[in-house]
Order: sequence, then C-alpha cells, then structure tokens
Amino acid sequence: MSLRAFWNSVKEGFQGIIRHPLVTVASITTILLMLLLMSVFFIFSANARYIMRKVGQQPPIEVYMKLGCTQEQMDMTVSYLQTNTDKIKSYYGMSPEENYKRFRKELGDSSTILDDFDYNSYLPYTVTVQLTDPQYADEVVMNLQAIPGIDKVMQESNVMTFLTRATKTVNIATGIAFIVLFLISLFIISNMVRISVFSRSTEIAIMKFVGATNAYIRLPYIVEGAIVGLISALCAWGLSYLAYSELFKRAMTNVESGSLYALLPMSSLSVYVLFLCLASGIIIGSIGSGIAVRKYVKV
Amino acid sequence: MLRFENVHKTYKTGTDALRGVTFVIEDGEFVFIIGKSGSGKSTLMKCITREERPTEGMVLIDRFNISKMSRALVPILRRQIGIIYQDFRLIETKTVAENIAFAGEIIGVPKKRLNQMVDIVLGSVGLRDKAQSMPLELSGGEQQRVAIARAMLNNPKMIVADEPTGNLDPETSESIMALLLEINRTGTTVIVCTHDSNMVDRMQKRVIEVEDGLIVRDERASGYTAVVEPEQPALPKSMEDEFDSENSEEKESDKPLPEFPPNRGEDGK
Repeated sequence: MSLRAFWNSVKEGFQGIIRHPLVTVASITTILLMLLLMSVFFIFSANARYIMRKVGQQPPIEVYMKLGCTQEQMDMTVSYLQTNTDKIKSYYGMSPEENYKRFRKELGDSSTILDDFDYNSYLPYTVTVQLTDPQYADEVVMNLQAIPGIDKVMQESNVMTFLTRATKTVNIATGIAFIVLFLISLFIISNMVRISVFSRSTEIAIMKFVGATNAYIRLPYIVEGAIVGLISALCAWGLSYLAYSELFKRAMTNVESGSLYALLPMSSLSVYVLFLCLASGIIIGSIGSGIAVRKYVKV
Repeated sequence: MLRFENVHKTYKTGTDALRGVTFVIEDGEFVFIIGKSGSGKSTLMKCITREERPTEGMVLIDRFNISKMSRALVPILRRQIGIIYQDFRLIETKTVAENIAFAGEIIGVPKKRLNQMVDIVLGSVGLRDKAQSMPLELSGGEQQRVAIARAMLNNPKMIVADEPTGNLDPETSESIMALLLEINRTGTTVIVCTHDSNMVDRMQKRVIEVEDGLIVRDERASGYTAVVEPEQPALPKSMEDEFDSENSEEKESDKPLPEFPPNRGEDGK
C-alpha cells in the first residue's frame, strides 16, 4: 500500500466516525463502561496491594541475639541487614537496656518488680526487621538463622502466609478480571462494529472489485475503532479520576496519610489508570473493528 | 490474452458449475458469454476476476496462471480488469466523481492527476456535467455509464461486464453497448455476459455459449442462437439428377464464406 493510499484510508476512518453517529456513540459507551470497570478493578487492587504491603511490613521479624554475643557477630548481622535493601525495608536494634526500659513501660504500675533485674545478664540484644514485601519472610528468616551469634528469629508466620496468599489472590483476580473484561468488550465491540460494517458491505464489495487490498479495506475500520477507543479511554479516565478523588476526599477526612488504612491518592494512580485506559481502549477498539470486518474482506 | 484450459469448478455443495471449459480470447476481442441461468457462465466470469478459484484446470491471463496466484496478488489482478455489474454497484454516499476517483484512490494516484483522469473518463461516457451529482439522482443508464467510467479509470486491459444491460430499457442498453464497443475499438478486450438476445444478434460478435458447465458453441460473428442448416427434403432420383446438372457449375457449398472482418485489437489498430 502506497503512503497516499494509507492516508486515504486513515481519512476514511475519521469520516466513518461521523457517518454512523449512533453506532459510534453506542461503541464509545460500551468501551467506556468496560474501561470504567477495569479502572475500578485496577484502583481497588492497587489499594488492596498497597494496604497489604503496609500490613506485611507491620508484623516485624524479631531477631534475638545470643546472650554475650560478640561485636563481630553483631556487625555480621547488621551487615546482612544493610546489604539486602531490596528485601529489608528497615531495621531497628535495641540494646538490653532499651529492652529493659520497654518491658518496664509495658508493665506499667507493676514495673517495680523489675527494679533489681540485671538486664545485662538476662536480656539479649534484639533487632526488629521490617520487610519490603511479606513474600521475602521465609528467605530472610532462613538467612538470619544461619548467622552465628543469633539465638532465634521470631516471625508472625501465619499472618505472613496469609498476607502472601492474599496478595497473590488479589493479583490473580485482577489479572483474570482484566482478561475477562477485555474479551467481553472485544466481543461486544466487534458485534457493534459489524452492524456498521454490514451497512457498508456494498462499499466493501466495490472496494474489492476495484482492486483494494485487505489492508486498505480494513484500515479505515481499525482507525475508526482506535479513535472510538481513545475517546472512551479519555472519558473513562476522567470519570474514574473524578469519582475516586471524591471518594478519597470523603473517606480520608479523618485518616492520616501514613496510617495503615490510608488509601492511595489519585495523583499517584492517575498516570497508571490513564495508561491502562488508553492501551485497553485503543486495543479493544481497533482489534474489535478488525475482527468485525475480517469476514467481509476476504478477496 | 485470456486462456481457459480444461477448467472445472465444483462448489462445496457438490454442484459442478464448470466441467472442462477450454477457450482462448485474444487481446482486443469483443466476446459475448451466453447461456441459461445456472449454466455456469457467472462462475466462468468469477474465475476471470478470481472471485472463484477453479478446482481443476488453469485460467491464464497473458500466460500468468491466475488460478494459482496468491491472495495478496488478487487486488493487483483486479486493477487490470474493469468490472461492470448489472446493479451498477455505485456508492450512494459519494458523488459521481468520487465514485470514479475511488478506483484511483486505492492505488494512491495523486489527487491532481486523479481529478484529470476522472474528468477524461467522465467525458468519454458523456457525463462530465454530472460529476457532482449523487448516483441516486441519475437514471439507470447514467449510473451504468458511471460504472463504466470507473471501470475505465485505471485503463484496464480487459473489461468484464456481467449483465450490464439487465436493468436497462432497450434504447439505453443500445447506448451502453455502443459505449462498450467504443472502448473495445481502443484495443481493450471486452467480455460481456448477457441474456439480451436482440443485442447479441444485432452486434454479430464472437459468442461463447455455456450449457451445464460446458462450452457448447464458440462462434465468431454469431447471434444468440446457433444457426442451424435447414434439413432438405429428399428429392426423387429423377429430380435430383436434374437439380445436380443445373447446379453443376456452382454449388452453394463450394462458395467461399464471407470473411469475418478482423477485430481492431487483432491487427493492433
């Protein structure tokens, strides 16, 4: 296909949008609704993962050093924690004295029983470790246990396992929802465009017998579908932006941004939602139209 | 040159539309394809435009076997063939000029040159003043002229017309045929599939008759029906001798047949 023929075809695609306004509006509405659903799923799953990550970092791994451990052993432990920054978000070491004070504080009025307690003889150095993701828990625990000088490593294993499973489930559910919604919208769009294609089947037949290639016949419909997808994507993004911003404003009035239950602000999600809507909309629109016209273009 | 070599076409339903068709059409010929409905002539036409692929045999255009050509090349073949249908097949939402230009747009002819080409072909079919009209504003004959103009746009080597006068009154049919004849005089091969017996009889061009998927007649300068020699009643012996002696000098069967004037395309003019 020559460049001029290509541009003629693209021009036809733009004209096709105006030629069948009702089909265009119906197609835009269908893709818009699908993209809105996709956006809702995306925002929900992004927030779910965000909260789970925060929760996953909360039940920390407690590392208990042996009583009388050496400085070298302490340094080895710290060295491990400092080098694995991809897995370890933060760590906080406490001396026997600090642990003693914490116990006293937790005991409150009964703390007097610890007045003569020789914490240096009975309390170890401890390190509290926060992970970047709960899925690293087993690996980090295993590595820490191998370091000499560490007495035991405690973790909330059940919570960690649950969180890991829950994160995976949310990810899989989001993936499946995306695929299902994508296929449904592709099916709906290809059927809607088929109506438009059917009304232009004579034109397609004429194009074929004057020597138009399959690509030349298909391109206007693909361009038309892509434009419909683009418009739908922008509308879906705008609507989801407004709706989520309003929801965020109302739900987060009394919640601190650093809180465990704080949602992701739309500003940090909008780019991803826009990209998702644009990519899905354009792909659904163009492929759906391409499928619809396929039956009619076989020379 | 168009050559059919033992072409068979059997549809998926099991119908044998063509059962060994062989003929040659030289460049510049004007040929009528005739036959009853269901005889296979439409399938034959479709084999020329590669709407159908023969199940057996070969269809060659200029020694190129189009029955084996890949799908990607079919559009290129169709640009070499002007196709005209009974129902005109014009796009109702485009003007006359746009309908014609359409055939040039698909191959990316520059706009300025395309406008000139459209003007020329519209002039040749006598519709220059209707360039901006919509197809539905035109009469049937005018619409068919537009279809012919579109078929001519890319200067095809061959024009294939499937019942081009099927929807037209006799007078308009006459003018359409005159136009096709005019195109043929420029050297373009014209193949017309028709039921119009009067037209075929009047034009006295080559006729290929198809019946039950076979060619039953291929005659030059012929009419719609085959000329059958009337059977002579047997004469008594005495009269037969008398008749023989009277005609001994010049028998009718010995006379040379009138020579068919060569087609323009055949002598290259």
